[in-house]
Amino acid sequence: MQVPMSKYLTNQKGTLKKLIGILSRDFKYASVLGTDVKGKEYEVRKTGTSITDSLWNERGFVVRVFNGYNYSEYSFNELSEDTLDLLVDKIKEKAEDDIKNLKSAGINISNYPVIEEEKLTMSHYKEVEILPEEKTAEYRIKKMTEIMNEALSYSDLLVDFNVRYEECHISKIFISQNKDLEQSYIWSQGNILALVRRDNNTKYYYDGVAGLKGVELLDELRAKAKVVVENAEKLLDAKRITPGEYDVICSPEIAGLIAHEAFGHGVEMDMFVKNRAKAVEYIGKYVASELVNMHDGAAAVESVSSYLFDDEGTIGTDTLIIENGILKTGISDLLSALRLGTKPTGNGKRESFERKAYARMTNTFFEAGNDKLGDMIASIKEGYLLDGTMSGMEDPKNWGIQCMILVAKEIKDGKLTGNIMSPVIMTGYVPDLLKSISMVSDKVEISALGACGKGYKEWVKVSDGGPYIKARARLG
Amino acid sequence: MLGRIKNILSNIDGIDAWKIVEKTIESKELFFIKKELDMNRGKDVTNITLTIYKDFEEEGKKFRGSSTINIHPTMSDEEIANEIKDALYAAGFVKNEYYPLANPVNEIPQKLESRFNKDSMSNWITKLTQDIFIRDKYDNGWINSAELFLDKIKVRIVNSEGIDVSYDTYRGQLEFITNWKEGESEEVELYQDILFSDYDANLIPNAVDEMLKISKDKAVAKPTPKLNNIPVILSGEPVNTIFKYYYNKACGRLIYEHISTAKVGESIQGDDVKGDKINMILDPYLENSTFSAPYDEDGFLLKKVTVYEDGILKRYWSDLRHAYYLNIEPTGVIRNIVINGGKKTLEDLKKGAYLELKSFSDFQIDTITGDFAGEIRLGWYNNGNEIVPVTGGSISGNINEVHKEMYLSKELQKRNNFLGPVSIKMFNVNIAGVE
Repeated sequence: MQVPMSKYLTNQKGTLKKLIGILSRDFKYASVLGTDVKGKEYEVRKTGTSITDSLWNERGFVVRVFNGYNYSEYSFNELSEDTLDLLVDKIKEKAEDDIKNLKSAGINISNYPVIEEEKLTMSHYKEVEILPEEKTAEYRIKKMTEIMNEALSYSDLLVDFNVRYEECHISKIFISQNKDLEQSYIWSQGNILALVRRDNNTKYYYDGVAGLKGVELLDELRAKAKVVVENAEKLLDAKRITPGEYDVICSPEIAGLIAHEAFGHGVEMDMFVKNRAKAVEYIGKYVASELVNMHDGAAAVESVSSYLFDDEGTIGTDTLIIENGILKTGISDLLSALRLGTKPTGNGKRESFERKAYARMTNTFFEAGNDKLGDMIASIKEGYLLDGTMSGMEDPKNWGIQCMILVAKEIKDGKLTGNIMSPVIMTGYVPDLLKSISMVSDKVEISALGACGKGYKEWVKVSDGGPYIKARARLG
Repeated sequence: MLGRIKNILSNIDGIDAWKIVEKTIESKELFFIKKELDMNRGKDVTNITLTIYKDFEEEGKKFRGSSTINIHPTMSDEEIANEIKDALYAAGFVKNEYYPLANPVNEIPQKLESRFNKDSMSNWITKLTQDIFIRDKYDNGWINSAELFLDKIKVRIVNSEGIDVSYDTYRGQLEFITNWKEGESEEVELYQDILFSDYDANLIPNAVDEMLKISKDKAVAKPTPKLNNIPVILSGEPVNTIFKYYYNKACGRLIYEHISTAKVGESIQGDDVKGDKINMILDPYLENSTFSAPYDEDGFLLKKVTVYEDGILKRYWSDLRHAYYLNIEPTGVIRNIVINGGKKTLEDLKKGAYLELKSFSDFQIDTITGDFAGEIRLGWYNNGNEIVPVTGGSISGNINEVHKEMYLSKELQKRNNFLGPVSIKMFNVNIAGVE
């Protein structure tokens, strides 16, 4: 089924074009992004149920104008053709009065060139099997309750089994002097979490599925419940790892976390503008083993961050960041590209219409290699297979990496022993970690659960992934 | 807008109760690269959430279903009515035990004070900008970039039981990066994020100065050595993180959901505690906190409460719903945490060898299991003879294995919604050193 465009945004197009027309009299560049994101989050647990609108929900606009030096923006969520003059006054207040006040207070203003755009009119509406409106809340809650009840029958140690399902219908329009773009798509995600307790020892394990899908995703979630309960039980016997350096195999999920934290954040080109990215010194140089090829892009793979255009009206692309171990280029928003004299890659993303656009990741992943997982495990005398993302943190300036990992499965003499360690923190110097990659499996898996922040804010939806990779890492 | 919504609600049958939370935000935002303004932004938005409640009975037991939706100011009456009807239908499948909503009380709350309401947002954003750069005067260190936000927020909470309360507050945020280049060593950076709701002339200059000074230490830091059986002292932000474990353990919702097993009257630190015992107060009016508020989002009037006294859990803190389920007095949701200092001074804590850690990539504690960990961005290793700045590697541990002997500094720090010890000294923490 084709995902329909927001009727609200379609109806506002005329007013927005009029707004851009008025603004163009005073500003050399003016654009407006309109967003209408409608989603629901459902949660079922032993002690209760909840249905709320998704935290990603939004409906509003952000205007960007060239203020003579650089760019000013104004976000708002009330729009009427009758009050356009008041809106224009507000925008002028930000772009003219505020800039004048700041200058008179002795604050220097940076200089940017004016954005030049070619004429472009495009639209894109993705497909899903089942649209959200085709199924009732009752259908979802019933399915989720069945998954929970089935899981609760698997173990007496379960304190709770939590099932979450979220869907978001995203519609966006972008209007400027030369561009008229619109798009609509749906992503959904389901998470399950098993909480187990033995004596005073409490542990949990979780998994999920996500993608450019609709309600059909609930059926995929059910298949994972048993393994999640079994893994949670195993965690009750987990030990703490002895800190040290080990040969490790990273699951596709952990490989994705490494790609994301190591060279995803590290090549966001607004960091190049701020001189916060060590990567600038390494363009054209080896930063990883020759086995490593890494991509990011809205057009690189079909997942939750696959769109026609980004939040600055730039068409999404597929960027090859690392080719055979050599760092090729970064990913860029529009304004950073203007400052750097490079081409934007369609990576300008906002948390919502209320926030600034930054260079952000979309779908970030390592390419597949030729190895088999069995051979990779067999090649390790003493080490661990790492699985289950908890969190990660970037360090683009000094290339540190922090990955919080749920499980390290012990490998001895080429075999998994069944012993597990949890939780585990993997740290290290990014090039050391990536250059140590010695085997790469032959199948890529993409994970699209969760979200990515820039520092500790500006949350956006991303996906990441890769094949299994063998490397040497410091674990604690 | 609220009048429109209430009018639509009154024309739809079958709604047993409702609650509206409206937040109107005016903001000014400045983005700097070094000392140059790279972009300015502003916003005027109104965000409204509406919760619809539907009561029903099954086998003689009362249930209260609910569904929460966003109402956008640009929605037509027809759109709002359709959203409400959908939410009402959905609430019928949410089978939660019955609980009451907040009722009005005849008590005028303390007013939230902020100097920001004494002048225009334009003037304050200029003043705050000057505060950012006033201490940026070192030859080898500088502010790489900064993002400054000042939000003026009007909150109004209305429900079907007669609650109609409102308050104004401010949310200021400064995120900044400092760089330092010392001789031939690699240029380094550190990250800091501070939040505030009132103007404090020293807050930003002191935070910038401290970050520049410790950036200098990072520039000359050595790789963290492989260390065993050495006490770890956490200082600054990670201290705040540790206490989130105790805050969540006392949360009524988590008790009801059996996620926390903490019991009132018992020691949260176990028996035979050798170190300092935890004393925690939740204060809805903590000065200069972006979480200070006279009411929580149920419209429940908030008052200061003691949660832990000498390590003993005195009471759970809870919203109305879960307090009703647990048959306890509600406290409402208060997000400001005050922890008493310990018996030892910082000087006492730093006697002998130790590893002091202040900056991590992302220090975290799992409030369910008690596991904590973080990659070290900056610390200081005192080997008994000298103090050396260190970086790299990580620490990990479990709070349940360390809090029987944990020492809190007598000196206190204030970080937005946290007032508590500057440092905590712990033993039995794993250190994954680099060399």
